[in-house]
Amino acid sequence: MFREFTLFTLALRNLRRKPFRTGVLIIAIGLLVASILFVLSFVRRVDSSIKTASDRLGADLLIVPTGSRGAAEDVLLENKVKTFFMDKSIVDRVKNIEGISDVTYQTYLVTIVGSCCDVPETLVIAFNQDTDFVIKPWLSKELGRRLNKGEAIVGHESAFNIKIGLTEVDSVLFGNMFKMVGVLDKTGTGLDTAIFIDEENIEDIMKKGKSDLKPGQISAIFARVEKGYDPYLVAGEVEDTIVETDTMSRRDIGKDLINTLRDFSRIFSMTVMLASILSVFLVWTVFSAIANERSREVGIMRAIGAKESHIVKIYFLEVLVIGSIGGIVGIISGTTFSFFAAKSFMILKDLSSDLTVLERSSISVVSFLSGTGICMVGALLPINRIKKMEPLLAIKEE
Amino acid sequence: MSQIEIADISKTYAIGDISINAVDNVSLKIDKGDFVSIVGHSGSGKTTLLSIIGGIIGPTSGSVVYDGMDICSLNDDKLSEYRSEKIGFMFQFASLLPILTVKENVILPGLFSKKGLGDNIKKAEQYLDMVGIGDKADAYPSQLSGGQQRRVAIARALINNPEVILADEPTGDLDEETEAEIMDLFKRLNREKRVTFIFITHNLDLARQAQRQVQMKNGLLNEVLL
Repeated sequence: MFREFTLFTLALRNLRRKPFRTGVLIIAIGLLVASILFVLSFVRRVDSSIKTASDRLGADLLIVPTGSRGAAEDVLLENKVKTFFMDKSIVDRVKNIEGISDVTYQTYLVTIVGSCCDVPETLVIAFNQDTDFVIKPWLSKELGRRLNKGEAIVGHESAFNIKIGLTEVDSVLFGNMFKMVGVLDKTGTGLDTAIFIDEENIEDIMKKGKSDLKPGQISAIFARVEKGYDPYLVAGEVEDTIVETDTMSRRDIGKDLINTLRDFSRIFSMTVMLASILSVFLVWTVFSAIANERSREVGIMRAIGAKESHIVKIYFLEVLVIGSIGGIVGIISGTTFSFFAAKSFMILKDLSSDLTVLERSSISVVSFLSGTGICMVGALLPINRIKKMEPLLAIKEE
Repeated sequence: MSQIEIADISKTYAIGDISINAVDNVSLKIDKGDFVSIVGHSGSGKTTLLSIIGGIIGPTSGSVVYDGMDICSLNDDKLSEYRSEKIGFMFQFASLLPILTVKENVILPGLFSKKGLGDNIKKAEQYLDMVGIGDKADAYPSQLSGGQQRRVAIARALINNPEVILADEPTGDLDEETEAEIMDLFKRLNREKRVTFIFITHNLDLARQAQRQVQMKNGLLNEVLL
């Protein structure tokens, strides 16, 4: 039985004649694709994490105690567990500033397993359900009603952390029994790792004395700006008027983190660019060597009727096979690396936003095409050189 | 009209500052069914002349007209079609692709032909039987002797039913018995299918078996009257 015999057969046989060299090329392209995939995922996560966090907070301004700007950003953008407090009377002072339309506030508490609570270290956010516009959109979607006293609802990630994953579980928080009545949908912000309670519970919590919170203290104020006012200018007004606060407008939230992460993105991107150039040279070198080695064979094929296009097809099929296998290897290893890196590297672990299946698929496709494209570019010159040789000269080249 | 009309062709190679006239103002007419031998010393321009006729190298000047078509003016695609459909090549060296089996080497020209592989597989088996190595169809060239490889090249040259066979020392490293068998095969194809044969040889006895004999010397051609 004679199997199908095509130009693809020739390309595959050519690749099999030097398996080590083919393997090295595949690994090189695989590494390149893995790097591209990792960097694209990182850049995308950074962008979407910052954007979703600031957009989904639903507030134009974030007002925190002086010196707590970084801590607030850590909480809201990086899933970190931190507390900071200021006097609740500031809420009314913020309300009185021109251009402010709505104001709400939150109080942050940290659970410590064993001493106060039966859940691992988690941020507990007490919020005012009457004024809230930050949590409520998510709460009404999940629960469809107000949270009652003694009830808590957990963020999407916290549900896994405290291993409930289900509702109707009781937990002790700061010496008080809370019924977990639901899990919030993923917000893509630091709120995903928190537990939410109504501020009515604060009094009971303080009575038990298991928290460092003092009466009349809150952590952060969220404000909306009236239409026609520039949030940036209003933020400046708040800071000038209430000196014991730091105020961030929506576009400033996470500015330092954004800059740091963008620097990382740039470094990664430049590294990938250099790796791409290196890969082009590697492929060019290997295919130049291949072209020299096989010049006689190419001459023979041309002499027995092969057109320039046949020679180009054979070589491009080889490049395509290397690029495709390398691309698949790269996508698998890049995805695996991204997965483990996300768990192991602090900077990735802290990014609250994950990628959607569509984003992951798009990044995989782009990485795959980039790897194969780079392979093609590297092989272009040697292939062009050999296809242009007169058959007799190609035969005598060896 | 002759099948092949070579008019005033020259081929000059430049090696550094030096120009070498491998073929110098050669003219020759070959009719369909001719059986032509080319003799001459090494470096006399025999292989260059054969390569120009076969379209695997272009002349510096002059023309080669095949059945009224000037092959020197063809683009790459048309020239490749000419090589694929009209010409069967046999080189003076081992010219098989090492990555392919004997049978695959024989059907390879079909892969580049407009007609495709067609019934080439069956034909390949017949030709391999005809040249006496039917049992080696699945072997690789490295498993064959020089003589066996030469026979595979003959089968490959015949596979597309060419009108002209160009053979550069086709029996160069074969024993006398095999040499005679191959010459008989050429003569039979020439007689039965009117395939034109142009072959280069150093063996004057073989050259004399041809219907016409031409001699190359320093790039110049002389027809020997038999």
